[in-house]
Amino acid sequence: MGNGVQIQSTHLGKASIQIPAGSNRNVVKVLLETDKNAGISAITGLDLGEKIGLMYHVRTNGVIVTISTELPKDNPQIPSITDLIPGANFHEREVADLFGVIFQGHPNPGRLVLPEDWPENLYPLRKDAKIDELTTRPATSSFSKGAVQSEAESKLVNIFVGPQHPALLEPEKFSVKVDGEIVKAVEPRIGYVHRGVEKASEQRTYLQDVYLVERICGICNSCHASCFVETVEKILGTEVPPRGKYLRTIILELNRLHSHLLLLGHAGLEIGYETLFQYMWRDREPIMDLTELLTGNRVIASSLTVGGVRRDLKETDVPKIKTQLVILRKRMDFYQNLFNSEPSLRMRTRNVGTLSKEDALKLCVVGPVARASGVNMDVRKDEPYEAYGEIPFKLITRSEGDTYARLMVRLDEVTESINIIEYALDHLPEGPYRVKVPRVVVAGEAVSRVEAPRGELFYYVKSNGTAYPERVKVRTPTFANIPAFLKTAIGGSIADVPANFVSLDPCFSCTDR
Amino acid sequence: MEMALDLELIFRVLVFPGFTFILFFTLFCDWVERKVEARMQNRVGPAVAGPAGILQPLADFVKLLTKEDIVPRDAKKLVFKFAPIISFSFMVFALCFLPIDGASAIPGAGFAGDLVFIMALVTVANFLLFLSGWASANPYSAIGSARVLTQFLGYDIPLFLLALTPAFLAKSLSIAAIAANQYLPFILLAPWAFVLFIITLQAELEKDPFDIPHAESEVVGGLETEYCGGKLAFLHLTRDVQIVFGAALVVELFLGGPYGPVFFGLPVFWYSLWFIIKLLAVVVITEYVTCLFARLRIDQVLTANWKILLPLSVLSLTLTVAMATWIYPLMV
Amino acid sequence: MIKEVLSQIFKKPATCKYPFVKAEVPEGFRGKQVFDISLCISCGLCSRDCPAKAIEMVDVDGKRRPLFHLDLCIFCYQCAESCPRNAIKSSLIFELASTDKSDLIVKPQTSSQKASGA
Repeated sequence: MGNGVQIQSTHLGKASIQIPAGSNRNVVKVLLETDKNAGISAITGLDLGEKIGLMYHVRTNGVIVTISTELPKDNPQIPSITDLIPGANFHEREVADLFGVIFQGHPNPGRLVLPEDWPENLYPLRKDAKIDELTTRPATSSFSKGAVQSEAESKLVNIFVGPQHPALLEPEKFSVKVDGEIVKAVEPRIGYVHRGVEKASEQRTYLQDVYLVERICGICNSCHASCFVETVEKILGTEVPPRGKYLRTIILELNRLHSHLLLLGHAGLEIGYETLFQYMWRDREPIMDLTELLTGNRVIASSLTVGGVRRDLKETDVPKIKTQLVILRKRMDFYQNLFNSEPSLRMRTRNVGTLSKEDALKLCVVGPVARASGVNMDVRKDEPYEAYGEIPFKLITRSEGDTYARLMVRLDEVTESINIIEYALDHLPEGPYRVKVPRVVVAGEAVSRVEAPRGELFYYVKSNGTAYPERVKVRTPTFANIPAFLKTAIGGSIADVPANFVSLDPCFSCTDR
Repeated sequence: MEMALDLELIFRVLVFPGFTFILFFTLFCDWVERKVEARMQNRVGPAVAGPAGILQPLADFVKLLTKEDIVPRDAKKLVFKFAPIISFSFMVFALCFLPIDGASAIPGAGFAGDLVFIMALVTVANFLLFLSGWASANPYSAIGSARVLTQFLGYDIPLFLLALTPAFLAKSLSIAAIAANQYLPFILLAPWAFVLFIITLQAELEKDPFDIPHAESEVVGGLETEYCGGKLAFLHLTRDVQIVFGAALVVELFLGGPYGPVFFGLPVFWYSLWFIIKLLAVVVITEYVTCLFARLRIDQVLTANWKILLPLSVLSLTLTVAMATWIYPLMV
Repeated sequence: MIKEVLSQIFKKPATCKYPFVKAEVPEGFRGKQVFDISLCISCGLCSRDCPAKAIEMVDVDGKRRPLFHLDLCIFCYQCAESCPRNAIKSSLIFELASTDKSDLIVKPQTSSQKASGA
């Protein structure tokens, strides 16, 4: 691979490679030769004082390999790898927005997470960007132009889905360009709920950050917390006691249950099936009650902390959980029947928004969207964390890749989650559930992945030996999945856009952080 | 003599079974619909406004009347303002031809062929609804109203063909005659026509699975997008009156109209009671079908109409004619 | 689905008519804080660790005591964990919405103040 390459083994995944800036494309080409299904998991930017660090976290053969490089701060330019791996598109744009790195040859550069009237040359995640500057921007700033429209495109009718739209839970703008009824192109504009969580987490201690990252997303809150604490535990070298791991697994699987039931009901609402929506959400209520029983709150669990979980499971709660799970399992039989046989539902979701396996791999999609297209990807199986290594469960995949397959994958995963929780309750080890950790974390860096309900959640944390983290990087699953929507909507009818869209389980609070 | 006749006419047209009765009955049917839908979905439904929430539709109506009424600058003002009201009046006028308490609201208004007349009235009322969406200068309304037009124009044809079946069985095109001549309710004599009529009615009334013009996740509000305040109240009322009209048509054509056993006292009272009971039964049936299905796409709706419902309604008419000519005379 | 929808008409609704029917909360629920001033040692750890900066140390009878800003609080109960004397506990009160913002500021009260109804 040429000189200037150093291989180290740290907590940055299976291997960590340091390369000079100019050779990033060659390294990626070599990587793709060895594993043509390699994909980008995340691209992290770092402010290293004099230089800007750039890390490509590549997912290959189920593990993460980090390729790091450094760029001079006054002229941070690097060739883009979007033509080699199309899924790197959004990641590169985000680093360009927040750090000011220029990716040469990027097909559609432009603002991604920051608003159009954000001043040029103010890069929020650099250390020298003052907070006061960020909160009181000058009123006169020019609007940066969006992507240049080609001749053919300007003859198409532009229908705006969002920012305020009944089909979307949270605001994002998708300009759907249609020719009659057929969709020709979709132009996304995300960043409407960008709250700057990554910057905010640098101003709070690790203990306070657990609560901050939990609130990135309401639905998958425990997954964010668990990914963050796992990363910090890797840096500290703490080993969580087995009971703590099992309790964490139970809370994470409860989170997955309520999220999948929410999505299946929401999918019903999008295709006009109100009755399905009401039934699903009625069956989801006991899960919220169970979460309240275990953690003290229905939605935001706040139960995970660095070193274990905050409260123990009482013996008297176990039969309550099991009764509810038995009832839910019976209801799942009804829903399986319904999804298999109801004609109007199948008519709206079959062969709608098909994503082929090659596209899924090239666009680096994660989670049930990938599994519905035949890709065997699940962090719980690839790199088991918490107690997943000891609990047997099935990996659900389908091969059709259409909206129906994506919904069915989630439906089957609900049953698997019930199995996992029951197994964990039966095999719960005795002992402590929490260990004490120091408030000041030693210098170091680590990455960690967790299978959130929507897909693979990726965290990178760098600590500099104080009580405050130096950098926290969050890559959420919906951020990686939106390019898939842009691909699957093309060629379909405008009437299919809501059903297609909801099947990839969008969570924009996660996307924008 | 002149004065007495006038008063009776005024009473019949304005109070019962005319305008006031229709208005309050529509609100009552809205409540029944919402309660039935809620119970089917394991919820409570309206519960706070009045006993068991029965005043909820009235409360919604009054609330809309108190809101600010905005007319978009680029909308065609005359059509925008008056199309909903005219559409509503057409529907109520059509309802006045149906025998509700044994005779129609305007006494002696029925004539041979008034079935065709009121179907035409309803078509014009639907067309005015389309115009109201078209006149709002909004792309979402334009798409929504275009879909309304495609849907109801398509489904009007099988609806009319299926409505001819009872006309054929009763050997008359006058609704009063069809309702009166049902020695056996036509639902028993031509059940296939009844089933097909209910399905086609779902499309006419824009309920699931043919729910496209309403509140869909693609076109925001459909043709109602730009309406607010009193005009929106009228649009909603028009939709509810449409449901009452559709159900009343089913009652007259297939369920024997208001006629039923009279136990004591005035027949007028019993006829009205039977009419109300049968109409509520039809409303419950259509609501049940609504709860069962998801919403179909516009191209699937059109396929369902032209490739399935239209041929089936022709077949149903043929079958009824065959049965009536050869089989039924043998049974009587 | 056909049978299911019909049978639901005869079942009890799954929704409860709140606020006419009270909702039940389980024992460990994280509701409004209950502060026992007799256990407090004025260390200030609760204020330092609060992620939402919702605890302000104020002067009461010469000692520093925590004042809870419930409009900023996220009810994570890190304060209860950080307190070395277990002076902060949870209650089952969750109906905290109010039209008056001063209702959301929980001042530390000594037992004599509480008894006199201040």
